[in-house]
Order: sequence, then C-alpha cells, then structure tokens
Amino acid sequence: MAPTLSLGPLVIPTAPFVIIIGFWLMLDVTERIARQRHLNSRQTYNLVAAALLAGLIGARLTFVGLHWTAYRDNLWGIVWPLTSGYTLWAGLPLGLFAALLYARRHQLPLWPTLDALAPGLLLGFMVLSLADFLGGPGFGKTTNMIWGIELFSVRRHPVQIYELLAGGVALWLWWRLARSGQAEGGAFLGSAAAYSALRLFLDAYRDNAPLTSGGYHIIQLITFAIMLLCLYLLTNRLSLSHNNPEKTDLKT
Amino acid sequence: MNTMLEETSQTNDRFRWAALMLLATLLGLAWISYSREPVVDWRQWAGLAEGPIAGYRAPDFVLPTLEGRELTLSDFQGEPVILNFWASWCVPCRAEMPLLERTAIQYRGRVTILGVNNGESRQVVQEFNRQLNLTFPLLIDNNYLVGDQYYVTALPTTFFIDRNGLIREVFTGILNEAILQNRLESLLQP
Repeated sequence: MAPTLSLGPLVIPTAPFVIIIGFWLMLDVTERIARQRHLNSRQTYNLVAAALLAGLIGARLTFVGLHWTAYRDNLWGIVWPLTSGYTLWAGLPLGLFAALLYARRHQLPLWPTLDALAPGLLLGFMVLSLADFLGGPGFGKTTNMIWGIELFSVRRHPVQIYELLAGGVALWLWWRLARSGQAEGGAFLGSAAAYSALRLFLDAYRDNAPLTSGGYHIIQLITFAIMLLCLYLLTNRLSLSHNNPEKTDLKT
Repeated sequence: MNTMLEETSQTNDRFRWAALMLLATLLGLAWISYSREPVVDWRQWAGLAEGPIAGYRAPDFVLPTLEGRELTLSDFQGEPVILNFWASWCVPCRAEMPLLERTAIQYRGRVTILGVNNGESRQVVQEFNRQLNLTFPLLIDNNYLVGDQYYVTALPTTFFIDRNGLIREVFTGILNEAILQNRLESLLQP
C-alpha cells in the first residue's frame, strides 16, 4: 500500500519503521500494565526487551551461520545492512528461551507476568499486521465485497486489516477478563485462545500464506495448536480457582 | 446442601469447558480442512494479474541496452531474473554492483541479472560501466517509464522474479551476498 515513506530527501521503508515503533509501544505498554498490576515493572520491561533482543540476535546469527560462506570474507555484513537477513524459525524459540531464562533468574510469578505481557504481545502482532499491510509482501484472496481493496487492478480481502481487528477483539477480551479477575493467567490464556482462533479463521483469506506440501496453511496449524493448549490450560486454571479461590484470586 | 450445589455447579462448568474444547477442535479441524489450498502447478500462475509486488506477474517491458539492442523481460521466461533498479549517483547501488557482477558470472546460464538505470542518460551509464566493467545487461530507462511501472520509489530496489515470471520478492536497500544467495537458492528450486 505504502512501501516507503518520503520525508524530504529521505526515503524510509515503511514496514521496518512501523515495526520499530511497534517494539517501543510494546515495551511501553507492558511496563505500564505491569505497574498497574503491582508487578515489578522494570523486570517485566527487561523480560520483553531480553526476549526481543535475543530473538533478533538469534535470528540474525542463525542466518549468518546458514550462509557463512557469504559472510566469511565480509564480516562487516554481519552487522550491516540490518533490514533483511533473519531466520524467523530460529528467532522465535530463542526469544522465548531468553524470556524464560530471565523470568526464572528473577523469579517472576508465571501467571501474573503472562497476564501483564498479553496486551504488549497482542499489540506486537497487530503492528506486524499493519507493517505487512503498508509495505509487506502479504495480500488477501480476491473478493467482490465492497470493503475489498484494489491492488493492481484486482480487488482483494484486506486480510491484514482483519488481523488488526482480531487483535482489537482479543485486547478487549483481555481487558474484560483482567477486570473480572477470575484466575491468574485467565486474561492471558483467554485472549491468546481468542486471538489464535481468529487468526486460524482469517488465514484462510490470505492468498500467499505459507503452506505445507499438502496445501495446509502453516499458520492455521500453529494457531490451532495454541488455541487448544490455551483452552486446556484455561480450564485447569479456572477449576483450580474454584477449588482454591484464595491462591488464584487476582483481586487481592 | 451448599456443598452439593457447589459440586453440581463445578461439574456443570467442567462439562461446559469440555464441550467448548470439543467444539473448538471440531470447528478448527473442519475449517483447516476446508481452507486447504489445492497444490498449484506454478505454470498455471501465468494467468494471474500483473503488478510490481510479490505474488503478481512481473510487468513486461522493452528497454534498450547500453549496446543499443532492445531487450524484453518476457524473453527470459523459463529462467529466474534478478531485476535491479539503480542510478550512478546512488552510493548503495554502486556498492552492490560488484556483488551482482560476481553473481552474474557464477550463475551464468541459470539466472539472468538485469540492471535498469533509473532516469539517466546513455553517456552516464556508459561512464559508470567503464568504471565498474559490468558484464550483465544494463538497460536505459531515461524517462522513468519502467521505474514508474514498477513503483520504484527508493534505490536500489531489486525484484526477484522466478522462472514463471512471478515476482517472489521486492527488496529495497543494499543487498549483501548472504541475502542474495538465500534468495537465489529459493529461486532455483524446481
């Protein structure tokens, strides 16, 4: 839609620009919510920062390792340019691992911390959808609906806008669940299950979605597994809160 | 009495959650299976719309080379093409040229590299080539016609086009060897 942003003589690629702002927003929101929920806001902020940093560095170093012959004679290339050259499948687990390590080291309480992290994570996903809409490679399937967007003479589903709305719905649900204070972790698990379910549904409208060799949408398979896991854990958390309300009540 | 009521309520809750899990599983599986894509033969994609973004057919064009002959993009159908937009005043463009040259030599016969000069005269392109000694075709787009057709707003911009004429990726900014190698591996996959 708008792959570059012109500021006088300066031309900025929109997607990385939006993602950088999104990272900052994610950290800021997480810190505020942690403070609101009487958690150690500095440690929660650091947890997200550590995960983002480890994920980025891990994704970059994996890419460098996989293409070492190309970097061997050009070590400067490892640190520049940074706009491309990441291995996502390595960055995600490394980021998660760093977060777990940090949380264990600082003995952060699991469920309250996850509850505080949920809005930031959802915002992060929303920012990725927005970046993809503005300057990314993704686009929706063809449609005749009036809200379809014209993309080089073809009307298509604005699938990234659907994803943004899904993030909004999940945020609203998080807010409702967090206010009801039924069980620690309930707000995180409920909003994660809802967001996963919506992404599972919406990915069918993405035209260039990554597929398995059998034609199944990879994102759908991942979100399906996450949705079921979250629902299962949510059931456990809620039944635990019924059996032992004092330990799991958030209102205290 | 109260305990009995609580137990009944808990059993009901558990039943409700189990029903929700079952419903989510069934609906999820049904939707995944419904939205499964047919395994497409890439050759069928030739009927798709043209556009300068990934997933669309690369818009065709005819441009003169530095030597004066005319070159058409569709002549290269069946072979992956790297279409690089550049200008002599653009420092990152100049910096990535030796890499493109090395790649053109290394992949000769398997991948075509085309360098489209954005808005400069033949003399400027000639002088640029004299300095860098490039062997891959340099095309002259002095009226920005192809640049506009490809929505080039920043330099360098590189289009990775597969052997079916489909744009696989649009890369804005300077390339490095690893990025290029990574994209070439994907373009050369059968």
